[in-house]
Amino acid sequence: MTEITLPSLFEHRVEELGEGVALREKKKGLWRRISWDEYHTHVRNFCLGLKKLGLQKGDRVSILGDNCPEWLYADLAAQAAGGIGVGVYPTNSYVQVKYILDHSQSKFVVVKDQEQADKVLMIKDQLPFLEKMIVIDMKGLRKYDEPMMLSFHEVEKIGEELHEKGPSLFHEMVQATQSEDVAIIVYTSGTTGPPKGAMLSHKNITSVVDCFFQVLPITQADSLVSVLPLCHVAERLFSLFIPMRSGCTINFAESIDTLQSDMTEISPTIFLTVPRILEKIHSAVTIKMQDAHPVKRWAYDHFLPIGQEVAERNLAQQKVSLFLRVAYLLGYFFVFRPLRNRLGLLQVRECVSGAAPLSKDIMKFFHSTGLMVKEAYGLTECTGVFSVPKGEDIEIGTVGKPIPGWEYKIATDGEILMRGPAVFAGYFRDERATKQAKRENWLYTGDIGEFDEKGNLKITDRKKEILITASGKNIAPSEIENRLKFSPFIREAIIIGDRRPYLAALIQIDYDNVADWAQKEGIPFTTFKNLSKNPEVYKLIQGEIDRANKELSRIEGIKKFILLEKELDRDDDELTATMKVRREMIEKKYGDLIETLYK
Amino acid sequence: MPKLEIKDLNINFGGIRALNGVSFAVGNNQLFGLIGPNGAGKTTILNIINGVYHPSSGNIFLDDQDIVGFKPYQIARIGVGRTFQNIELFKNITVIDNLMLGRHRFIQSGILLGSFYLGRCLREEMVNRDRIEEIIEFLEIEAYRKKIVKMLPYGIQKRVELGRALSMDPKILLLDEPCSGMNTEEIEDMARFILDIKEEMGITIMMIEHNMEVVMDIADRICVINFGMKIAEGNPREIQNDPKVIQAYLGEDEPFVRE
Repeated sequence: MTEITLPSLFEHRVEELGEGVALREKKKGLWRRISWDEYHTHVRNFCLGLKKLGLQKGDRVSILGDNCPEWLYADLAAQAAGGIGVGVYPTNSYVQVKYILDHSQSKFVVVKDQEQADKVLMIKDQLPFLEKMIVIDMKGLRKYDEPMMLSFHEVEKIGEELHEKGPSLFHEMVQATQSEDVAIIVYTSGTTGPPKGAMLSHKNITSVVDCFFQVLPITQADSLVSVLPLCHVAERLFSLFIPMRSGCTINFAESIDTLQSDMTEISPTIFLTVPRILEKIHSAVTIKMQDAHPVKRWAYDHFLPIGQEVAERNLAQQKVSLFLRVAYLLGYFFVFRPLRNRLGLLQVRECVSGAAPLSKDIMKFFHSTGLMVKEAYGLTECTGVFSVPKGEDIEIGTVGKPIPGWEYKIATDGEILMRGPAVFAGYFRDERATKQAKRENWLYTGDIGEFDEKGNLKITDRKKEILITASGKNIAPSEIENRLKFSPFIREAIIIGDRRPYLAALIQIDYDNVADWAQKEGIPFTTFKNLSKNPEVYKLIQGEIDRANKELSRIEGIKKFILLEKELDRDDDELTATMKVRREMIEKKYGDLIETLYK
Repeated sequence: MPKLEIKDLNINFGGIRALNGVSFAVGNNQLFGLIGPNGAGKTTILNIINGVYHPSSGNIFLDDQDIVGFKPYQIARIGVGRTFQNIELFKNITVIDNLMLGRHRFIQSGILLGSFYLGRCLREEMVNRDRIEEIIEFLEIEAYRKKIVKMLPYGIQKRVELGRALSMDPKILLLDEPCSGMNTEEIEDMARFILDIKEEMGITIMMIEHNMEVVMDIADRICVINFGMKIAEGNPREIQNDPKVIQAYLGEDEPFVRE
């Protein structure tokens, strides 16, 4: 009997669905379908090509570039050959790319285009393990004289020749894959210290998918748009792992700029997202509505509270009065339906947000429009998902109940521990970190949380980020930060207050929205810095903070704040590749500024 | 054999001699930069090649064919594409329509067949639209496909104009200040596109540009014009060190390009 691995599941799907649509890619302005058979041909040829070029069992293949079908081909092909796929963020600088290629000791790197290829070429001399760079889009690269470089197409050609000689070769290779083998290495974004490479086995992956389906089933009829970076475990789960079981369709947008209209055209049924995107949608809608026609604005302002009321009653399983129901129906046809259609979210039946805590207000906003956003919780180290609300059982502020298959407990200090078949195999080339995270098969998550009386998990914060004020009170900063970020004028908020008498905040304004506001108010400005320094803007933010303070307890209130004069940047090590704030770094960097808050 | 050869070109406007015996040759698949101070006669040269002006004397050979005396549309038909200093697009129609206009020379079906949009006409439209889409992808303007041109940012309009010139599948492309009025990032993108056009599509390019960094960086060969006369020709390094060029640009003995 063959073992259950991603490549073997893939062969099953191909056999079952054959000519059915597996992927869609927008090219030359038209959506092009890629059937499971074609998907298979690409993966097979690329896999055999890699084999011919010398890929051995256990070798790492890094993939660097924006999401595209070739990304998935390369990942599956590497796994089918017994290799390991390693995703690298396309937004990484060449220094960060070097760290991952070097640490993973990758033999091959697959890059999307010239931009990414140039990064690799810049550091190739420092990578003794790297043998070949395979380029998906050769535009602008054909004239490069570089012996280590070849095109994706060439590798497929090499593989095809091999396939003609031995038509059963690929199938035999897939049969040889074992469920305990490491399938992929996911480098964590690293809010603290350099990224660590979490090794996930086929068994980790298949077990988590099976458990996930018991709570949130996905079928062949579903379709998704692949938006988030594929190197992140959550997007990999939705775009690669889940289709291998369910046969759902994955769509690739034409480019980042066209994402919005491509979403509208596809109108996916499943939407995986992160708080940052939801925050962005919310503030875009809020700002657009201020400029909208008065009738539209009136309708929006009046129907939104009705939507909220209905959503809250539904979640609490209370009766919704006939009047409310009629009002909601009107609201649905005149406001919510067109709004969701515009956002490409009309057909969405499951919307899952993960990777970072989502503000309650944002969640309520989407619930009002009838889009029942759910918050899921998981780590790279637990193969992506630990808990997600089932069906309509959504308790705002919690991440639902753990999915079946997990054993779990809360340690005495509040840390969440979990055990099960989906706990990762360990960090690649880092015994010490592995031992720290995995003790007697329990995964130490580093997150503080608690279960409420209904059994829903509530995440307090990262263990390392809990602040203890001078008066001894424990405070979870992320919740307050999210409350602040709900304001369309605040892009980023960092709460300070560890061993301090009161809480203070570093605020980064949302440049676009504040600039828009300043223009309307007739406030002249030139740059981000100039705008941040403007006393009127300070007053505006003060107003936003006051409003937030009203909803917070006195001890959680923000006494003072400072507006940052530059936008936080990945290149300055202030944000991770997933745009999470690196608190330690920022507290160090802006130390002097922070001191002024306590004088 | 040069792609384009200009021999002893002269033109007078009233009593002013705008060009005085200019000669140079552009090699096949070369990126040829034409530089010089304002009013030196650079755009005049492009206008003569295009057939907008007729020279008082001199010859222009494109692939060994003398094209002096040809009408602008005839010159376009033999494969000379062009962009302008000030964007010359149809501002009130979409990007696609502008680009499709560039395909005009490939479209055979007339107004009668066109109004029914059947058979050959439909096939023609599809073939040409396919080529347009390749260009859209090449220039990364997918997001603007169906937008009205006048609503687009300046840098994008510049790109669309380049796209229209490309859509006629030219043998040689004349670019009049492709990077003017752009910010640093847009300039970098544009320089990259110009290089890619040369390398990927194998098109010969003649470019007027005031941004010296760009010209010195990407041009294979440069010709300098001042007061209607050629004062220097050579590769970027030679031009940078040519005393006559330095004098024409700054009037003093300082290098005009800082490295």
